[in-house]
Amino acid sequence: MPILAIAASHKGRPTEGGCPMNFGWSSFGAPLRLRWAISVLLCLFGTCAVTVSVPLAWAKDKPQPAPDWAVEAAKTPTPANIKDASAVILFDEFLLTVDDQNHAVERERFAVRILKPQGRSYSHCEIGYDIDEKLNYFRSWTFNPDGRQLQAMESDFIDHGAYAAPVLQFTEHIRKVSPPASDPGAVVVCETEEHLRPYMNEEEWQIQAPVPIVSEAFELALPPGGHYADSWGKFAAVKPIEVGSNHLRWEIKDMPALDLENIHATPPWGALAARMSIKWGDDAVKGADNQWRAIGLWQSHLEEHRPDPTPEITAKAQELVAGAPDLYTKLSRITEYIQKNIRYFVVERGIGGWQAHFAADIYRERYGDCKDKATLLISMLQSVGIRAYYLHVDSRRGIIDPLNPSLAGNHMITAIELPDNESDPRLIARVKAVNRKTLLIFDPTDEETPVGLIRAQLQGAWANISNGSDSQVIEMPVLPPESSGLARKGVFQLTADGALDGQIAEIFTGASAARERGFIKETDERELRESLEKGLGADVPGLIFKDFKFRETAALDRPLDLDLHFASAGYAHASGPLLLLRPRILGSLAQEFPDIMERKARDYPIEIGEPGRWQDSFDIDLPAGYTVDETPDPVNIDLDFASYHSTVTAKANQLHYERDYIVRQVEIPAAQVDDFRKLESTILTDERSTAVLKKQ
Amino acid sequence: MLSKVPTRLILLVLVLIAAPILRAQFQDPTPDELKMTADPKAPGAAAVFLNFEEDTDDPLHYHSVYARIKVLTEKGKDLATVNVPYFRSSDQITDIKARTIHADGTVIPLAGKPDDLLVAKSGNIQFDRKVFNLPSVEVGSILEYRYQLRYDDNHFSSPLWDIQHEYFVHKARYVFTPFKAFQPGNQVLSNTFLIDEHGDAINTLIWWQRLPPGNEVKKEAPGRFTLTLTDVPPAPNEEWMPPRQSVLYHVNFYYKSANGSADFWASEAKLWSKDVDHFVEPTKTLREVVNGIVTPSDSDLDKAKKIYKAVQALDNTDFSRQKGKTELKQLGLKAAKRADDTWTQKSGSRQDIALLYIAMARAAGLTAYDMKVVDRNAGIFDPGYLSFNQLDDDIVIVLIGGKEIVLDPGEKMCPFQTVNWRHSGAGGVRQSTEGRSVGTSPFQSYTSNTMTRLGDLTLDDHGSVTGSFRVAMSGQEALRWRQEAVRNDLDEVKKSFDRWLQSTIPDGVEAHVDHFVGLDDPDANLIAFVKADGVLGTATSKRLMLPGYFFETRSRVPFVNEEKRLEPIDMHYPEQITDQITLHLPSGMAVEGAPETVRIPWADNAALVTKTVVNPNQIVTARQYSRAFTLLKSDEYENLRDFYKKIAATEQQQLVLTSATAAKGN
Repeated sequence: MPILAIAASHKGRPTEGGCPMNFGWSSFGAPLRLRWAISVLLCLFGTCAVTVSVPLAWAKDKPQPAPDWAVEAAKTPTPANIKDASAVILFDEFLLTVDDQNHAVERERFAVRILKPQGRSYSHCEIGYDIDEKLNYFRSWTFNPDGRQLQAMESDFIDHGAYAAPVLQFTEHIRKVSPPASDPGAVVVCETEEHLRPYMNEEEWQIQAPVPIVSEAFELALPPGGHYADSWGKFAAVKPIEVGSNHLRWEIKDMPALDLENIHATPPWGALAARMSIKWGDDAVKGADNQWRAIGLWQSHLEEHRPDPTPEITAKAQELVAGAPDLYTKLSRITEYIQKNIRYFVVERGIGGWQAHFAADIYRERYGDCKDKATLLISMLQSVGIRAYYLHVDSRRGIIDPLNPSLAGNHMITAIELPDNESDPRLIARVKAVNRKTLLIFDPTDEETPVGLIRAQLQGAWANISNGSDSQVIEMPVLPPESSGLARKGVFQLTADGALDGQIAEIFTGASAARERGFIKETDERELRESLEKGLGADVPGLIFKDFKFRETAALDRPLDLDLHFASAGYAHASGPLLLLRPRILGSLAQEFPDIMERKARDYPIEIGEPGRWQDSFDIDLPAGYTVDETPDPVNIDLDFASYHSTVTAKANQLHYERDYIVRQVEIPAAQVDDFRKLESTILTDERSTAVLKKQ
Repeated sequence: MLSKVPTRLILLVLVLIAAPILRAQFQDPTPDELKMTADPKAPGAAAVFLNFEEDTDDPLHYHSVYARIKVLTEKGKDLATVNVPYFRSSDQITDIKARTIHADGTVIPLAGKPDDLLVAKSGNIQFDRKVFNLPSVEVGSILEYRYQLRYDDNHFSSPLWDIQHEYFVHKARYVFTPFKAFQPGNQVLSNTFLIDEHGDAINTLIWWQRLPPGNEVKKEAPGRFTLTLTDVPPAPNEEWMPPRQSVLYHVNFYYKSANGSADFWASEAKLWSKDVDHFVEPTKTLREVVNGIVTPSDSDLDKAKKIYKAVQALDNTDFSRQKGKTELKQLGLKAAKRADDTWTQKSGSRQDIALLYIAMARAAGLTAYDMKVVDRNAGIFDPGYLSFNQLDDDIVIVLIGGKEIVLDPGEKMCPFQTVNWRHSGAGGVRQSTEGRSVGTSPFQSYTSNTMTRLGDLTLDDHGSVTGSFRVAMSGQEALRWRQEAVRNDLDEVKKSFDRWLQSTIPDGVEAHVDHFVGLDDPDANLIAFVKADGVLGTATSKRLMLPGYFFETRSRVPFVNEEKRLEPIDMHYPEQITDQITLHLPSGMAVEGAPETVRIPWADNAALVTKTVVNPNQIVTARQYSRAFTLLKSDEYENLRDFYKKIAATEQQQLVLTSATAAKGN
């Protein structure tokens, strides 16, 4: 699979603790890898065990002259309109040759000119290879600004493991070159050839990079009678040129950079970048719906019999649901069992990146990755008469594009079939499939979100369900604001010297509760205390953190309670006869997006957060002898995607602060940037507002 | 260039020893261990080690590790995944045995095969790790495993025991059986068998220990060393602590041709100094070059400055790009073997350039010495750690008028007579008129590292401000930005500077650097000219409320929230920060309340002084923070915290403006 990629990026790597992974330019903060989707899937699904034999394909002894294509590519002038790019890709060409067994060999030729010191990273070509791939060669030359050639020799290459996190590791290796003389002005060229995984019939062409590309092409050489299907994402389809018998070439010139540095709240880089998916063999069918169906069929075939329940699994599932009064209870008992008892861990080995282990093995060992957890869940549900399916997703909204069918994605969850008449209000995360079945979306790898809900990253994203001929792409729901949030109540006593003592009761629900539970799980008591102390300390100067207590940490379907007790030696400040205090004592909802606040032009959608409702209600007892001289004005802002209301009222010797923030969407179009700016600046101003007390 | 000491020595004579009989032996958990749900000795811990054992048997060529862990929370389950790094080229991980014991006593043995994963490979050197995962782990489980690292018969290896782990250890036991030549009665043979990397006969086993009070390594009769500990606290992790590795409990054993620490460093320093003197010996070429740079009439100080400027101008590959063997060969260059080479190639590493400076200084008739120090950001020099590898960088000592001045020519953009803080207060070995010695470089003065922010902002009725300020820097802050400019172009530096600025000014205000002055001149102050605007204040019907101070109000003041301190405090370098903002008020607004003038001294260590001057239509707030200390012992923490608490309280003061009519009571 693989490819000549550049520098840091290459394959997507999972975030700690889950299948979901980050990849693409923006997440790696660097460069380039011109195709990625299939490699990403490798981390989820997988292959057979074939010993890798990597020939010493680099120059070992005497430098050889660069090939003609490289010499020509290096002559490409730097376009005048590339602004302040740190590098420019002059040439990037793929040749995918498919044999009559549908096995593919891929060659990449790549040339980049370094324009700035920080652009050097784009010249560090790298390629990944796993146990069922074979790297034929990897060569690299540098052309000095004066035209002199230097070839990278054996000592300029290094292999390293594609280590991700302690709980998710890979057998994949990455070979990387540190090209000689890679200084500004130099052109570095790289050439690789690799046998792709024999079971894969799809490749992704990443057309766009964080730096401009002058010329790029993708060639597909098919065997006689072979056929293909292409689909395009974030880019108008390009017609191929027939350069030989069943040999096609797609060419693109002058692709602008997609540089999201210093642009905040955007969808993931990979969701905005232009790409093309190419399929060959039996999966190369025409039409998006058919392609999604073919992908689902492939997946269904791959996982066939993996979820078959054993007597032990069946017995356990039946034990769990015994006496359950309703479907929700049945589901929650089984899902919680998997969430709490199957530890996330796996070493992805070849096709093991794509194909789950058998349910029996997962149940016995009590660990597995996302597709393993999905498999055991499907198995247990099946053994109590509930149907469920694999649902292929990406943890970053927008990577899966309904118009661009592909295996791109980094995570496996489940879709549980609900009876037609099932109307339990707790089963919120449901969608209707084309076959009219109602599906409940659930992620068994997410160990904190209860059945019925899905976390924010999945909401509004697309997914591909594997259900034989009923396979399809579906959009996951955006949950209502009532499904998540925090209700915070505080009672405070302020003294004349500005000291404050407070008791807070917080109730987290839905995704907010899941996030807190996840944090509790990942920390010990000392870390938890330090974290709470740090968070409070950011809001409350002179904090004296006294005590905290979480309740209902284990019951996923119940709200999570947190009681806090703290004091501050100097919360309110005297200014002459005045005592000034900020009624919003703790908790910040304002988001800092400098580019948005500075009214910079916005081209991309805005990721605004997650649906939910956040409420604060504080009573502050005032010191004797003081009266409220001034309170901030009430704040009321209502938009279609969010609303924010805040009031400060004075009553006898008490100040009362109340606010209510509701978010209804996960993402809004760029055209609503003014509304979003207004919302954020309103929240920011409200959070900083001050009440003035005056000594009588 | 100068070679470092290899960590693995070569055994010249094979010692044939029967393969050890190694069997996995696990111990039965006690009922108390099984039912344990929390540990009073480690309150709130996610897991604790019930046992940790490490046994090094050098005659039999193996290290073995045994661990028994009680999982107390979900987080503790992470310990079920065990990573064992090793050199695949020379070592093997064998005899992996593991099991999980549930709280009810059920035993689940490790059934799966451990994975062998590549870490990195270059040429014939391959570094791998074995990974295994204990099955069926629950909160309450006991994880038990052991494995061996075996190395071939042609090598010997003395252990470095890391005593502290991430989690509390109830019982720890370490055993070391040294190579036969160092066992009683056999030492006479050692000269025959072993030589070190310098070709000297190895005749001593030395060990260095940093242990909890009351503990020490015991030497047992058969030539074994043992250490038994109970209740080992977890590795500390506190903000502003010295490099972590340098404060952890550990024991290091060495086979050496030395009779102790002093002997080792004397011997190593002698060899090192000889290498240095050879490398820097001025050649005819270099003398000619120097003669072109300095004149006979120059003072010694001027000579030192001119040469410094000349070597600073060279390509410093630690800040641009290191050239590999391939590149050097194909360009007809070579790794520097003499200082000449660095000059001829106009390029070298930080070490090459530092040594070139010594060579040129000596060619100019100056007395110049090398000092090799630990990078203080990475560690603290430990004379008991008998490895020259702990020393990282070279700084230079020049005698001018009988006084020593310290230079850092290998540090790109470092001003003359300034060193990077990582090389100040840093221990190492040095040359001098008396020969070689172990020493420490000088600490810096707070007046050497200054930042002055002067601004002029205009406020409107609604709390918005526009204006500009400039940030003048000397010392470490200036060095930081100049080095960033070496590694990146100006646009990138500006972006990075803007991000830093944003963390220093109030929420709602945006600031962007317009231009720099002195970015490429290390001898001048670096000045950033900044434009700022945004919403600074919040309004009520009668008043405008603003932060009392413009800078640092959103920065977190350190130490305030942490009541206790275990480790010393290391704040890298002393500094002085001076701020002054003139705020022009909208007409009709008067100052109702302003930050008080404050003086917070902490004798000999630090001080904060603030002053507010109210003039018609403007208010000037000034603040000066001076911190003279770099390192403090933990027993001074209470005073330190008290000082920073006062700073935090001061910085929270507000400026209250009111309409002039309202202020009169209307």
